[in-house]
Amino acid sequence: MKTALITGISGQDGSYLAEFLLNLGYRVCGMDLDFDPVKHSYLAAIQEKIEFIKGDLRDSDSVDRVLEASRPDEIYSLASQSNVALSLKKPYLTADVTAMGTLRLLESARRITPSARFFQASSSEIFGNPEESPQTEDTPRSPRNPYGWAKAYAQEMVKVYREEQDLFACSAICYNHESPRRPETFVTRKITRAAARIKLGLENRLVLGDTTAEKDWGFAGDYVEAFWLMLQQTEPDDYILATGRAHTVEDFCRTAFEALGLDFQEFIEIDQAFFRDWETRPLIGNPGKARNQLGWKSKTGFVDLVHLMARADLEALQQPNQA
Amino acid sequence: MSFVPTSWNQPVLTGEFTALGVTRILEAIRVVDPTIRYYQASSSEMFGKVREVPQNEKTPFHPRSPYGVAKAYGHWITVNCRESYGMFCCSGILFNHESARRGSEFVTRKISNAAARIKLGMDRTLGLGNLDAERDWGYAGDYVKAMWLMLQQEQPSDYVIATGKAHSVRDCCEVAFSHLGLDYEDYVITDPRFMRPAEVDHLLGDSSKARKELGWEPEVSFEEMIAGMVDADIERNQRRKDGVTAGT
Repeated sequence: MKTALITGISGQDGSYLAEFLLNLGYRVCGMDLDFDPVKHSYLAAIQEKIEFIKGDLRDSDSVDRVLEASRPDEIYSLASQSNVALSLKKPYLTADVTAMGTLRLLESARRITPSARFFQASSSEIFGNPEESPQTEDTPRSPRNPYGWAKAYAQEMVKVYREEQDLFACSAICYNHESPRRPETFVTRKITRAAARIKLGLENRLVLGDTTAEKDWGFAGDYVEAFWLMLQQTEPDDYILATGRAHTVEDFCRTAFEALGLDFQEFIEIDQAFFRDWETRPLIGNPGKARNQLGWKSKTGFVDLVHLMARADLEALQQPNQA
Repeated sequence: MSFVPTSWNQPVLTGEFTALGVTRILEAIRVVDPTIRYYQASSSEMFGKVREVPQNEKTPFHPRSPYGVAKAYGHWITVNCRESYGMFCCSGILFNHESARRGSEFVTRKISNAAARIKLGMDRTLGLGNLDAERDWGYAGDYVKAMWLMLQQEQPSDYVIATGKAHSVRDCCEVAFSHLGLDYEDYVITDPRFMRPAEVDHLLGDSSKARKELGWEPEVSFEEMIAGMVDADIERNQRRKDGVTAGT
């Protein structure tokens, strides 16, 4: 039986990955700052099967202890301060957790479990204002916010440990991947939650920023399979994980409201204050390398994804203790 | 934390100084007074396993050490603060720049100091790593002028500062020892302990943008610089030798 250590197990990706690995028969250890079963109800079903280990990426000794306690064959580095807007307010915290935290984990792994395979969740935010669209693994980095800076640092560090220290270490450059487990700080979940509340008469409008912004949105449940696949290859490498298809925020709204039998135009308000001043060329990924080398593709289409999220929000609100 | 081999011994500490330190300073400038002009000391180590020769401001990075990654991070955030916050931030991508004030762990200074000590009879041999490793070595005194010039321009930008000429460790030995009338081959031995895990290759800077826009160019040649370093080390070691002799 293989052991996997997942940092950030209570996040969206961590929970899907934990379910996926448990189904494959892995022993799953989860590192997190704290574990609050009420806050993360979607982990409730598998909670008993996961070994939770308290650890803080800001502290090397704590990272050492987590590796010693878990002795993993595979390390999935998912923990991050992943909110872009918060990263603008807290650039130092973001760097300490997301950039330095990854380095601390790599360095502890090199010393304590050098044969463990290492997966790093990188982000399309490393491209920021890209020279080309769609982007490939070779598109030059030009991160445009502290989250992107930190992810770019972490990914370069993973490569340095792979090339110079022979660690089996890979980064996935993940484009937006959503699910009903996304927090509402992300625009997708904000939209589907609002559509459900409007449907139930709990609200009557939704305020958004630039709805013409184009994104590459996939389903998180599909993406975690690629995380695992990357660590099963003969050689470690970096891959873009994306759908390759662009949809606007407006497309997302229309589809979400349609899923619940509503017309989005009756409820949307545009507020200039929500515009980010440096949104430029769209971040659209070319998933060709992952398709050819891993045999992976994003299975869930855009409409299915949005419907899944809108219906999940409606169902959750209809639970007696939620509304 | 600018010594590359140390960055492999202490990668986390290197990141805390070299990467997080820049985050702290830029954030402080943004909060306290965003009109403060900021110069970021970037490094040719960001190019690492180089994608093209010579390297200019647009060459993609491929760092090969925790130090190189930390410097790449510092560069990105400097560029981003300029472009997103309108701050006057410049990143100077400096290739190796040496002087008599270099720490003795750097190879040029190690050579000049050893040549001086051998000349004065204080040492007999010098152990070095790969003698064929090449670098673009300039004089630190010339390079600090470029730093200042960048902050005096109307518009902030990034500049490669380099000589554009490659010299090997062997060249450095030759110049240093022959300046004292010695043949380096009689004293230099190669020692595998000094081989770096990843030797960066073909680091050669194209500083035409700095030459054109800043009117900057290196004034002290490689030979003059090494000879100057050797002279300074002769003087320093002579004092030490005299001091020791006088004290006994």
